[in-house]
Amino acid sequence: MGDFLTALVQIFAVSTLLYMLVGSVAGIIAAAIPGFTVTMAIVLTLPLTFTMEPLQGVAVMLSVYVGGLTGGLISAALLGIPGTPSSVATTFDAFPMARKGDPGRALSLGVWASFFGTLISTLILVVAAPPLAIFAVKLGPWEYFSLIVFALTIVASLVGASVIRGLLAGLIGLAISTVGADPILGRPRFDFGIEMLETGLPFLVVLIGIFAISQLLSEVEDSRTVRSGAKLVTDAIDFKTWKVMKEVLMSPVNLIRSSVVGVLIGALPGAGGSISNLVAYDQAKRASKTPEVFGTGTPDGVIASEAGNSATAGGGLIPLIGLGIPGSAVDAILMASLMVHGISVGPRLITDHGDLVYGMFIAMAVASFMMLIVSVLSMRLFLRVAEVPKWLIVPTVLTCCVVGSFALNNRVTDLYLLGIVGLVGYALRTLGYSLAPLVLGVILGPIAETNLRRALMTDSDPTQFLTRPISLIFLIAAVMSIGWAIRSHLKTNKMNGVKDANAS
Amino acid sequence: MNNADENHSLEAGEIARFLSYIAILAASVALYLSAEHIPSSRFEVLGAAAFPRFVFAAIFLIAVIAIVDSLRKIPGHAWGRFGSEVQHWLKTRYLVIVCFVVFAAYLLLVPILGFSIASFAFVFGLQLILMPRKPLTLLVAVLVALAFSFGLNAMFAEFFNVFLPRGDFLNG
Repeated sequence: MGDFLTALVQIFAVSTLLYMLVGSVAGIIAAAIPGFTVTMAIVLTLPLTFTMEPLQGVAVMLSVYVGGLTGGLISAALLGIPGTPSSVATTFDAFPMARKGDPGRALSLGVWASFFGTLISTLILVVAAPPLAIFAVKLGPWEYFSLIVFALTIVASLVGASVIRGLLAGLIGLAISTVGADPILGRPRFDFGIEMLETGLPFLVVLIGIFAISQLLSEVEDSRTVRSGAKLVTDAIDFKTWKVMKEVLMSPVNLIRSSVVGVLIGALPGAGGSISNLVAYDQAKRASKTPEVFGTGTPDGVIASEAGNSATAGGGLIPLIGLGIPGSAVDAILMASLMVHGISVGPRLITDHGDLVYGMFIAMAVASFMMLIVSVLSMRLFLRVAEVPKWLIVPTVLTCCVVGSFALNNRVTDLYLLGIVGLVGYALRTLGYSLAPLVLGVILGPIAETNLRRALMTDSDPTQFLTRPISLIFLIAAVMSIGWAIRSHLKTNKMNGVKDANAS
Repeated sequence: MNNADENHSLEAGEIARFLSYIAILAASVALYLSAEHIPSSRFEVLGAAAFPRFVFAAIFLIAVIAIVDSLRKIPGHAWGRFGSEVQHWLKTRYLVIVCFVVFAAYLLLVPILGFSIASFAFVFGLQLILMPRKPLTLLVAVLVALAFSFGLNAMFAEFFNVFLPRGDFLNG
């Protein structure tokens, strides 16, 4: 109790709250810019926390983290461009909703879902940190590979209008992930002596090129609307914060399921928000009685994606606090900030620095409230983006994409790559390929390959994938997932057939 | 657009997709074969080439299915109209082409002119192409171009210690 009160006093100090507020604003703004990840925002924050008290520093970084996980929603909803990899699935429904004249509702849904997602993940973190941490660490490469196989079956619900093109896009994503040094022994692959391919295709550059550049180019397809000074969203913007809060709370199953998915994925080292938003979206679509409305601007899609990605914040802290193992790059930076202050992060963290651990729990909850306040107060400002004419938004966002791509590795060659990937993305979009499976392939490819090879290096017997219980459960889930997808597609085709017959 | 035009456009779209499947198929075969040259390892069963080969084999398989499916959908007479449909498509999308050409030129000029000058020229130039030209919009365009070129560069250097390309032109 003494530790808890000490932590409470430290977090609720005026200076800490002020720093956290600044951190929350910085996180939201950074993540709203395509190409700027939450990780980059936290890396930039790290040196600023060196002079602070350990808990104060961690609290500021957590507020940047929580703010950043929400910030990606802004460009995803208003521009159709995921601000961060963790908001890819948000574009599927928030963007169509905004285009239908409801950008205020799209943003509000995302903000509230993020808020509740973070709170639920904090609650799970407090209750289940030790047992979940032990479970996450027990997973070997067999279980990881099977988990990724299961995650890859998500492609089935992201394929869009054509299953064949969706599968091809997913496989192209996997193929892109094989370019550059191989993940186990570092042998060069498919670089053809070209310098910019030697280190592989940076995931973020691919993401920006595929989504942002292709989306911005498609904005100028109709020259008449562009030249007339048309805005991105032409209808009046209605701001429905409190009504939307009730709407989010009226979907408790979706909210809790997506948050639990986010926590579980966040707790697995190596996975994170970029996967959890897609898995949560997929699960919501599968559980829905009307899966056909997903992708057209349904609130359930926005809630699932945003609650899923925000809940990874709490999930990632589980192995960090429980065992001293960072679950993601962001957690590694948090760990580094504690180590700078001479605090060793490990299984004894809870017993040796109870106040710090309680402080992190409180800081997570406070950060989610800060994010909510900042988002609600600044939403009108963000909604102004929808009122900016296309002739102004296209060149400026293209410039932001260039900055984001360059700042990642400080490499000019990444800019050339951005142009090429953008052109390919536009071609694929125009030809009716779904772009989400491609991005999923790029994310999951290296994790799948690494764990497959690592498993077979440890034990060359491939039946291990079937004899290890957790691995088997994931593989059965993958088979069931494919079965569900086939059934669902057959059902849709049958319904379309009946409609056509009735029409004729 | 009447029904006949719409059908022609859909048929041309299917031919374009068919050609994309062919390109993907050819690339998968070429890359599968090129994976032969990736050195194997005696420390592991699979080696660095196994995963890519599996992926390219799967792409090959799906592309073959896609080609068969696409050929089934394309009526014989559609091929003759494909050239004129492509020309029409390019004509209606001329602004996209202009935008991409300007963007590509910008990307090539960033290392030469530096971020600030290249971005100013790009943002102002593209706004000029896209905007309804009035005195007020011109003024807005100049201010926005300044903010997203010199302003952005200064902000990143001052606050984030991220130094955007200065350019060979300024470095001498």
